[in-house]
Amino acid sequence: MASRRVVSRLQGHVKPVLSLDSTEAHRRVLNLYRAWYRNIPVILNRFNLPIDEQMAKNKLREMFYRYRNVTDIRVIDILVIKGNMELTETVKGWKQECHVMAYFKDTHNPKPKDFISKFLSGHDAE
Amino acid sequence: MMANRLLFAPFVLRRSFSLSSAALNKKNDSQLVPTKGVADLKDPRTVLEADEMKRKELLRNSVIEVNEPMNISPIIGIPDEHIETRRVRIFKPSKNTMQSGTNNINLWVIQFECRERWENPLMGWTSSGDSLSNIDGWLRFKTKEDAMHFCEKNGWQYSVEEPEVTKRPIKKSYADNFSWNKRTRVGSK
Amino acid sequence: MLRFVAASCKRTANNPSCVVWLKECRRHARTSGSKQQQTSAAQETKPKLLEVFIDEKKVLVEPGTTILEAAAMAGVEIPRFCYHERLSVAGNCRMCLVEVEKSIKPVASCAMPIMMNGMKVKTNSPMTKQAREGVMEFLLMNHPLDCPICDQGGECDLQDQSMAFGSDRSRLQVELDPKRAVEDKNIGPLVKTIMTRCIHCTRCVRFMNEIAGCEDLGTTGRGSDMQIGTYLENTALLSELSGNIVDLCPVGALTSKPYAFTARPWELRRVDSVDVLDAVGSNISVCTRSGDLMRILPRENDAVNEEWLADKSRHAPVDGLKAQRLTVPLLRPSKSSQLQMCDWEDALLAVGRALNGIQPSRMEAIVGPFVDAETMVVLKDLFNTIGSENVYLHVDSDLDKSCFPSSKDLDFQKNYLFNTSIAGLEDGVDLLLLIGTNIRFEAPLVNARIRKAWRNNLINDIAVIGENGLDLLYDYEYLGDSTKVLADIVAGKHKIVDRLKKAQKAVVILGQQILKKDSDSNAYEMVRALCDKYGAEFNLLHANASTVAAFDLGLKPSSERKTDNSDEQSLLWLIGVDDENLTIPNNSFVIYQGHTGDICANTADVILPGSAFTEKQGTMISMEGRVQQTLAAITPPNMAREDWKIVRACSELANYPLPYDTLLEVRERMQQLAPHLTRHSNRKLEKPSLRPPPISSVSAQSPVSLLPRMKSLVDYWQTDAISRCSPTMSKCVLSTKKEFDKRGIKY
Repeated sequence: MASRRVVSRLQGHVKPVLSLDSTEAHRRVLNLYRAWYRNIPVILNRFNLPIDEQMAKNKLREMFYRYRNVTDIRVIDILVIKGNMELTETVKGWKQECHVMAYFKDTHNPKPKDFISKFLSGHDAE
Repeated sequence: MMANRLLFAPFVLRRSFSLSSAALNKKNDSQLVPTKGVADLKDPRTVLEADEMKRKELLRNSVIEVNEPMNISPIIGIPDEHIETRRVRIFKPSKNTMQSGTNNINLWVIQFECRERWENPLMGWTSSGDSLSNIDGWLRFKTKEDAMHFCEKNGWQYSVEEPEVTKRPIKKSYADNFSWNKRTRVGSK
Repeated sequence: MLRFVAASCKRTANNPSCVVWLKECRRHARTSGSKQQQTSAAQETKPKLLEVFIDEKKVLVEPGTTILEAAAMAGVEIPRFCYHERLSVAGNCRMCLVEVEKSIKPVASCAMPIMMNGMKVKTNSPMTKQAREGVMEFLLMNHPLDCPICDQGGECDLQDQSMAFGSDRSRLQVELDPKRAVEDKNIGPLVKTIMTRCIHCTRCVRFMNEIAGCEDLGTTGRGSDMQIGTYLENTALLSELSGNIVDLCPVGALTSKPYAFTARPWELRRVDSVDVLDAVGSNISVCTRSGDLMRILPRENDAVNEEWLADKSRHAPVDGLKAQRLTVPLLRPSKSSQLQMCDWEDALLAVGRALNGIQPSRMEAIVGPFVDAETMVVLKDLFNTIGSENVYLHVDSDLDKSCFPSSKDLDFQKNYLFNTSIAGLEDGVDLLLLIGTNIRFEAPLVNARIRKAWRNNLINDIAVIGENGLDLLYDYEYLGDSTKVLADIVAGKHKIVDRLKKAQKAVVILGQQILKKDSDSNAYEMVRALCDKYGAEFNLLHANASTVAAFDLGLKPSSERKTDNSDEQSLLWLIGVDDENLTIPNNSFVIYQGHTGDICANTADVILPGSAFTEKQGTMISMEGRVQQTLAAITPPNMAREDWKIVRACSELANYPLPYDTLLEVRERMQQLAPHLTRHSNRKLEKPSLRPPPISSVSAQSPVSLLPRMKSLVDYWQTDAISRCSPTMSKCVLSTKKEFDKRGIKY
C-alpha cells in the first residue's frame, strides 16, 4: 500500500461565501478576533471559570493560530461564521461552564505520541 | 465596485459582530417572525437596507477564483486525530460468491483501516469508538477519481487498489456434456 | 508516432535525458508494431465474429457463445439458478428463458449458442417476463417459506430473484397440493443440508463431479420425486473442496454447518484479505461482526483461486483462531517455574535484557509459516543491527531438507518460485511431472487447476514420482518413488525422456513436504538438473505462506542452523514456529512470539502475544511470487499486538531503536531491501527475468524414496497451529476416518 496524494483539481472560479477577496477575508478574521478579545472579560464575568484573562487570551490566540495555514477564502469564511456562532453561544450564555472549559481540553484522552507509549497503550493508538 | 465594497464592508462587519441584544431583537421582530398572514408579508427588498441588498446582489453575481484544491478538513468538525492518522483504501468491491447478482460491484467504495469493535454486554449490539468506520461500503463512487477527490477533500491518506484483470472469455456449450472425445462428459448426474 | 518523436527530438537533441527517452519510445514503437502484426495474424485465424442484438444493444461475439454470456458482455444480466460460469451447462432451471425474435417459444439462454448473424434477443419483453414469472411460480410452489430461519436469507438468489422477477401474488392452494418435503442428508461436518429447500439446480452435483472429483453426490428419482443426495445414506463427502458447494447453492439447501445460525449477512463487515493456510495465496473475504470472526469466503481471482477455497482455509481460522490464543504476555521468572502473566513492560524489558546480555553470535531467530514480510524485515533489521546474521525460515524437522533450496540457491527467484504460475497450468502444458508431492492436499486449488486443465484436454500427460496410489483426481502415470528414477531421467535412461524431449512445454513440480529419511537425497539439485537438461519449467510447490517472502528477504532455511553443545547462554526467538523436534540449544533463552499457544510455546521463557492474519495488515507472497496483502478485519484480542510492532518495541528496549514507527515507514524500508515486495497487486504477476546458471552435473548418491508427508485426506485437516486448534477440523478428521473405515480404505 503505497500511500500517495495526487493534487486534486484546482477549484478555479467558484461562488463566494462572504468575502470577495483575501483582504476582505482577512478583515473578517481580524474583526472576529477583536470581538472575541473584547468579550473575554464579559465571558469570564459570566462564568465561574478557573481561568484568568491572560490564559483566555492565550487560548484565543492559539485557536486562531491553529488555522493559520488555511488560505482558501471560502474555508476562511466558514471558519469565521463558525467562530461567530461560538462567540454568540458563549456570550449569550447558551453554553455552560463545561462547554467553555472544553476549549481548554486538548482531547478527552490525550493520545500518546511516541512508538513505545502507543504500543503499550492499546490497539487503536495508531 | 471597489469603492462600493469599501463603503459598506465596515458596516456589514459591525452589523454581524455587534452583540447588543437590542440589535438582534430588532432584526428578529422585523424580519424573522411573521405575525400576520402570508398575504401581509412584506417584500424583503423593502425591509432589508439598501446597502445590504446591494451586497447580496453582488455576492450572488460575482465569482471568485480559488487556486488550490478543496480541503474541507478544518471546517467539518472531525477531530484532528481522525484526519491525520486514518488510512483509506479505495477499491471495487468483490462479488459475493454466495450470490449471482453483479449490480453491486461495478462501483468504487472507500474503507477505513480497522479499529476496535466490541459487543455491548447489555444488548449484544456492536459498539465502536470509530464513527468513520460506518461509512464503509455505504459511500459509493462512480469512478476512482471521485473517491480519491473525496478523500483528498477530507484530508485522509488513501491508497487505491485496482481490480483484478479482466477475465478469460468463457467458452463452453451444452454439447460438452455429451462429447465423446473429452473428459467433460459426465456419467453421474 | 515515430514521426512525432523525431520532430520533438530535433528540438531537444542536445539534452541527454531526451535521448534516453527517445530510445525508449523507439523501442516501444518497435514492440507495439510487432504486437500489432501478431494480433492481426491471430485475427486472420480467428473465426468471424457474429453480430447479436441484446435489447437492441449490438455485441460482437465468437460463434458458439451462449446468449447468456453475450448478454453479460452487453452489460445485461439474465437471472439464472443452474448456470454457473465455472461449471458445465445444465439448462435445467429455465430461469434464463429469453425471447428471441423469430422463435415461437422462449429460449434457455444459458444453453443456446449463437450461430447466426443478427440474432435479436429481448430480455425485457412481456414474453420473457411472463416466462420468468412462470418459472418462479413453479420453483416457489415447492419451496418452504422459512426464510426467517434460513441461513441463506439475505444473500439468497431465490429471494433476490423472486423479488425482482416473480409475480406479486400467489395462486398456490397448499391445502389441495401440499408442499414437497425431502429428508435431510448427512454429508459430513462441513455442509448442512435442508433438502426441502432444494430447487434441483444440480450446481452441487456438477461441482463435486467436475471440479472436486468426488463422485458421491448425484440425483436420484425423477419428476417431483427427484432428490439430490449421496446414493448411500450418511456418506461424508471425501473432498477437500466440499465447502464450495455452500457458496454455489443458490438457495438455503446447503449451508455451512459450523456457521449455522451464527450471523446474518447484513450484519457482517467484509474485509478483503489473503489466505495463509497454504502457499497458494487464495483471495478471501473475511466476514466479521462486532470484532468477532464469523466466516471466510473466497473472493474471485481468476489467476489464483478462481472462486473456490479449500476447506481448511475456509473453516480452520474461524474457530481455530478463537482457541488457545496467546492474549497476554507471559514470563517465566526462573527456569524451574511456570509461565506467569505479566505486563508488556516486563516482557519487553526481559527481552531487551536478553538481547543486550547475550553474544550476538549465539542469537537465533526463526520465523514460522504465517509470518508476514513486514515482521521479517523488522526482525532481520534488529538482528543485523545487533550483529547477528542468524535469521532463519523454519523448516519442519521431520522433512527431508534436501528438497529445499539451500541459501546459495536463493540468489535467483527462479530457483524457488512456482514459475509456471497457477493459471499457466492451463496454457499448453504438454507434460506435467509431479515429484515427491501430494499436490491435492498440499495445494488443493493448484490441484483443482490441474484437474480442470486435464478435464478440458489441456494437459494430457501427467507423471508422478513419489507415493504410489495417490488419489489425485486425474489419471497419471506412476514412475516410481525413489531418486533413482530422477537420476535415470537426468542420465537419459528412462522411458519418459523421449516425451520430455518432445514436449514444447514440460512442467516439473517438486514438493516441499518430503519425509525425512536416514540418508539425505539431493532431490532439489537433481530436479533442477533435470529441468535444465530438458528445458522443462522448474516449480517448487511450497507448503507455507511465508516461504517465498522469507527467501526474497534473504532468510536462510533453518536446516542450515549450526547448533553446538556449548553451555554458553544463547537466545532463540521463535515467531509462530511449532515443531515438536525443534533443536533448542543448551542454556538458551527462548522467546516465543505468535498468536496460538501450540507446541513450542511451552518451552518459552517469554511469550509475546502476536496477531493472526485476520488481525493485521501484512504482505504475503504466494508460491508463484504474487505480492498480496492481508488486511485487518478485527483487532488483536486483549493485549496482543501486531507482530512487527512487537519486534520494533523490543528493539527500543534493547537500545537498538529501529528507524520506523508506522507500517508505511516499514514498507519504505522493505522497498529498499526488495522493491517488488511493496507492489501489492492482484493485477499482474511479475515474473523474474534473471536466469540462474544451469546445473550440469549432479553427484551420484544412494537412492532415497521421495514420499510426501500427507498421504490421505485424514492428514490434510490438521497441519498447523491454527487448524490443530480448530474443533471443526477435528470433527473433519473423525468423520473422514469413519468414512474411510466404512469403505475399507486404509489411511
